[in-house]
Amino acid sequence: MTSLFSVSKKLFRYLLLAVFSVSTSAGANAASCPDDDAVALSWLDKMSRSLRQANYHGVVTLQRDGDMQVMQVSHIVGDGSSSERLVELTGRGAQVERLSHPLDCIHPGDRLLRGEVLLPEKSCGIATHYRFAVTPGERVAGREVVRIVIEPRDIYRFGYVVDLDEETGIMLKAQTIGHGHKTLETMQFANIVYSDNLPEFSQADVIHTAQHLDPQSASAQYPVTRAWSIGWLPLGFAATDPSTGTSERRTYTDGFAVFSVFLEELNVEVRAGEGLVKRGGTTSYTRGMRIDDQPVLVTVIGEVPVNTARMVADSLDWLP
Amino acid sequence: MDERMGESLSALMDDEANELELERVLAQVSQDPELRRAWIRYNVAQQAVQGSQIARLDWDISERVKSSLEVSSATAREPTGIGFKQRMLRPFVSLAVAASVAATVVIGGQQLALIGSDDPYNYGRSVATNASPVGMLNSLGATTVQASYGMQAVPILEPATSKAYQELALQRHRKYMQEHAEQAALNAPQGLIPFARVPQIQE
Repeated sequence: MTSLFSVSKKLFRYLLLAVFSVSTSAGANAASCPDDDAVALSWLDKMSRSLRQANYHGVVTLQRDGDMQVMQVSHIVGDGSSSERLVELTGRGAQVERLSHPLDCIHPGDRLLRGEVLLPEKSCGIATHYRFAVTPGERVAGREVVRIVIEPRDIYRFGYVVDLDEETGIMLKAQTIGHGHKTLETMQFANIVYSDNLPEFSQADVIHTAQHLDPQSASAQYPVTRAWSIGWLPLGFAATDPSTGTSERRTYTDGFAVFSVFLEELNVEVRAGEGLVKRGGTTSYTRGMRIDDQPVLVTVIGEVPVNTARMVADSLDWLP
Repeated sequence: MDERMGESLSALMDDEANELELERVLAQVSQDPELRRAWIRYNVAQQAVQGSQIARLDWDISERVKSSLEVSSATAREPTGIGFKQRMLRPFVSLAVAASVAATVVIGGQQLALIGSDDPYNYGRSVATNASPVGMLNSLGATTVQASYGMQAVPILEPATSKAYQELALQRHRKYMQEHAEQAALNAPQGLIPFARVPQIQE
């Protein structure tokens, strides 16, 4: 049975190539503005805005690789800003907080979800890269939900099934779907309370204040000495900040998926090779190679398939 | 490109490649420019069949990767007349050498165990939990190698590169995940939840 499957899969691949050999130009011209689902897009817009408007707290689980993490979250809005907190209830019990995030500070991911077109390429926004379907969902955390099935239109990103609170638009559950319809990761609220009266949170030994990286400014912890660029990106991914030139990191988002590229210059020779770590929906791909005469280590981390990470890593080059 | 290689490439495209398949692709890439070209064709073909736009593919990295492999493997085979201190300053070469030993030592058990595992979502974790006889990675990315291992001439095996890079990928995952989560938390619709993916949140 296995060999039969393998043979048919191989045949399919070769058929793909055969089709490709006569249809490349047709494929290149095929996509214009796809049949976007206005209802789904309006729900996504609502979801993006709700995250900055609602007061709530609750318990969230993250399931991946047969493991479950549990965390307590809160979100409070007031005085033109929002404050968020996450406390791990499993593992090390670390706390992450972001205080006084201005409500008018909209990052590229949210702008994409709200239908803005950030890229010069011919685009209909996120509907260019995902196909949406709205269906009734089952209750999550005791709340009625609307389910949006988000299917990628190409092979460079994962799919998602998200359940939004029917009343508030808050994302109560999100499943990341990989190839072969495998669920890679599930995030969901176990309970949620809409209130600005926060309960007492668990004490944390490690408290991290999330950086608020202004979309207009770039940071560089470990700058590289030469300016570099990425020659290939999946369509629809926009930079999250203007990290260019010698910054060691670039991050891109298409509204749902985010991936970061890190470049390290090595002062020693390195045997070319690659390594891969997968955790749920997160791919971490490290490649040792040379760009021109310079040995480098490239790491692509994000919620994208390994093939995407590999393609991106391959395309790095120095700027003249 | 033989049939098995085609299947490995296919698995990679489907995000289903296990460690052995990645190894197979890696081992072949220096000798087989056709492999790289095929991989690029697969990407374009799959996009074309799915009716999506064709991403820009006007680059061809096969030659660059090939020359890179030739140069670096020649360097890796140089006689090792350098001192221990110098070796300590050459983390990545040392890493590859150390892992050669590791691969040689464990190939009977661990590598065979991997042959039976075709779950692409498990093998990263098995790398993390398998004890390495030269377990030597620290949190900053530098590598220390025990002298008894570091001074020996060891055979260069393809699995060694693979094993070393698995360790390296795991280390870089730990190093960079929080910085990535900072960005994801601002640009994905899940608030601070991307931080839950960070192996160890630092202050």
